Amino acid sequence: MRFKRCFALFAFWAALSVSPAWCAPAASGEYFVYFGTYTGFTYMLEGLPAGGSRSKGIYVSRFQPATGKVSPPELAAEMVNPAFLAVHPNQRFLYVATEDPLSRGPNFDHESYVSAFSIDPSSGRLHLLNTLPTGGTSTCYLSIDKTGRYVLMANFGSSSVTVLRIKDDGSLGEQTAFMKHVGKGKDPSFQSKAHPHSIDVSPDNHHAVVSDLGVDKVFVYRFDAATGALSPDNPPFVDADPGSGPRHFVFDGAGRFGYSLQEMSGFVSVLAWDPEKGTLTKVQDAKTLAPDFAGSSDSAEIAIHPNGKFLYESNRRFRGPNLWGPDTIGVFSIDPEKGTLIEVEQVAPGGTMPRSFAIDPTGAYLFSANQVSGNVVVFRIDGNSGRLTPTSTDLKLDVPVSIVFVPAPK
Amino acid sequence: MSQQKCRYRLALRRSATCMRLIRFALCLAIACGLSLAGVQAARAQGGDYFMYVGTYTGFKWVHHSRPYGRGESHSQGIYVSRFRATTGEFSEPVLAAEMINPSFLTVSPDHRFLYAVSEDPLSVGPPLDHSSYVSAFAIDSASGKLRPLNTVPASGTSTCFISMDKTGKYVMMANFGSGSVSVIRVREDGSLGELTSFIQDVGSSVDPRIQFEPHPHSIVVSPDNRYAIVSDLGLDKVLIFHFDVQTGRLSPPDPPFATVYPGGGPRHFAFDPSGRFGYQLSEMSGIVDVFAWDSSKGSLSERQRVQTVPHDFFGGNHSAEIEVHPNGKFLYESNRRTKSEEERAPDTIGVYSVDPQTGMLTPVEQSLTGGVMPRFFTIDPTGGYLLAANQISNNVVLYKIDPSTGRLSTTGREIKVDTPVCLKFVPVSH
Repeated sequence: MRFKRCFALFAFWAALSVSPAWCAPAASGEYFVYFGTYTGFTYMLEGLPAGGSRSKGIYVSRFQPATGKVSPPELAAEMVNPAFLAVHPNQRFLYVATEDPLSRGPNFDHESYVSAFSIDPSSGRLHLLNTLPTGGTSTCYLSIDKTGRYVLMANFGSSSVTVLRIKDDGSLGEQTAFMKHVGKGKDPSFQSKAHPHSIDVSPDNHHAVVSDLGVDKVFVYRFDAATGALSPDNPPFVDADPGSGPRHFVFDGAGRFGYSLQEMSGFVSVLAWDPEKGTLTKVQDAKTLAPDFAGSSDSAEIAIHPNGKFLYESNRRFRGPNLWGPDTIGVFSIDPEKGTLIEVEQVAPGGTMPRSFAIDPTGAYLFSANQVSGNVVVFRIDGNSGRLTPTSTDLKLDVPVSIVFVPAPK
Repeated sequence: MSQQKCRYRLALRRSATCMRLIRFALCLAIACGLSLAGVQAARAQGGDYFMYVGTYTGFKWVHHSRPYGRGESHSQGIYVSRFRATTGEFSEPVLAAEMINPSFLTVSPDHRFLYAVSEDPLSVGPPLDHSSYVSAFAIDSASGKLRPLNTVPASGTSTCFISMDKTGKYVMMANFGSGSVSVIRVREDGSLGELTSFIQDVGSSVDPRIQFEPHPHSIVVSPDNRYAIVSDLGLDKVLIFHFDVQTGRLSPPDPPFATVYPGGGPRHFAFDPSGRFGYQLSEMSGIVDVFAWDSSKGSLSERQRVQTVPHDFFGGNHSAEIEVHPNGKFLYESNRRTKSEEERAPDTIGVYSVDPQTGMLTPVEQSLTGGVMPRFFTIDPTGGYLLAANQISNNVVLYKIDPSTGRLSTTGREIKVDTPVCLKFVPVSH
């Protein structure tokens, strides 16, 4: 047993130490960009699927940060509703949630799956390693812990978060944690029960933060990287405003602040993070909506620029039946001391319903995934101001909803 | 070192380094020695069984999804008693493994491993439970003590039922609280591996107190191991899933199903030994639905609806357990009766004879249980005795079964165990 464990540790260390060697040249080279899509519908309207999709799974493009060129997306792996993607820290494996295999909506979904893929370093194509149940339904988010030994999932439909072990070969193993959230929120149409929408580990890997849209809480769990277990922290959560709907959460690079994006209210709560105690303390509620906007924000994605100076968040605005938009990506500068946000601008995403966007690892470009208009628009980022300028790159792709970057070895 | 431990190690080390070969040889030598001793013991102890008793450790019972008598159970886990089927004698139960709320148990077909659910680790009741767990144990063939192998989440809450498929490669759980069923692979060494299936039940039924959401209460495979039957108390449905023994997967949703009388609350399901009939006990209505089971189509057709509640009884029936006698001629079901919220009525075990042609039931008698709240009972593997686990009166009471009529008669024998809720037998020195 001990030999086996030793070997496993060595293999893990070897894998980790090898990967930067072929990450490094890629920093000035190319990336694979993977796009997750909905294949069974265009979007969810009041919990029910609406519209169609011609997408067939996960797509991949090649991207040159030096020139901004992006190749047309090609099918990398066939799959039903690969709604969320996460890359292993060793950049060799990709993990994907099949959110809703029968495209029925969270209230009628019976099972979600998570698949492990190995990445072909020359073509970027994905080879399936294995697929397991996530242990929940309408799994809309997954992330990998810092050691690369666990995948953490938010099961929106069945109100739980789950953790599965990642084996040395990248395939998925046994469930190591299951936590059901109980309760409800103020808004009867979206908050009749708990709806965990995201889960991410803290920069030191000792905690996991879960945004629960249904109960208006941001949960903090202790995460044990030796066992993969989650246990409630003390206090177990920080409250968000009633009816606000916490959706996604991001830590700043320094691990001093956390930013909680609330889907319904459109606010970003700035929270000071105490990594010792595992506590979040509110510093600021930053408004992303214009004061004269009357409608719902439907805020979606949040990310911090690799330079730590800017925060971006997307909004899928809705003013009533068939009154969409104006959708925006909000740009904010971050006060380096206080972590607080100051709005820089709100930019049109170049399409409709930007459920997701991603900043490339060099920090030069932002890719906006516009779910309803079926396109991915590439913006140039001004490194000094954070401002976004659309480039001419506008990729046609049906119902894009998740974007990740992987260094492509030459 | 026990024989089990040795086997466990053998299973782990099936490879070809020199060190391993040496250990293998050593282990083999010890195993041979132990198994010789085991054979001698078996001769001396024919007809002996370990009887494992699952308990609630954190409360006495659950009513309307709330735990009652928190802190009043003095149990500490799973208990084991030796039972001699030839004479009906018990030994004093001893703690076999410490565990929180091990409310349901199952044993591997080779009798080497036992699996137990931790129904509600914080004893808060189904609506507030956050996670249930399932633990694997190796059975020490000499002492009956349980050696923990591993514990993993059940992938649900208030997991109240666990069973194994016929190959012993999978455990199946019903997660009452979170409304799902899950299947977990069992590894060669008996420990628990990955989740191979997860199905969230969706829907509701007519009783607003408990049926506003799904509550799967049991999951059992069909005799041919090709289907799994899930009794959902919240949906008033008996769900039928295809079970793939290669992958451990339950078929995708939209399974066919059978229904029970609205508000009935399907709880436990039993196949008869011939595999031609299935019996669904509903908790709230006290009805047993008799189904013909078509194993080629995986379908249940209703044959008879039997009301187990006497027509002159007015109160809550709270049916609990159902089992068909190994000879296939009798069916037993237990009732935890209340006159009102505050007052209990006499609990019973209903005895029925089974028509061998049609599977239909004819009442034989309603027998008392020798205690209060028989959440569980079982028939010993020889078919000679019925043992009733009375949750509130803290006793397991032994009844003699008349092999020609099925009637139960008192033996005057019982063992004391605090809050017993599940019983499983393992032959000694197999």
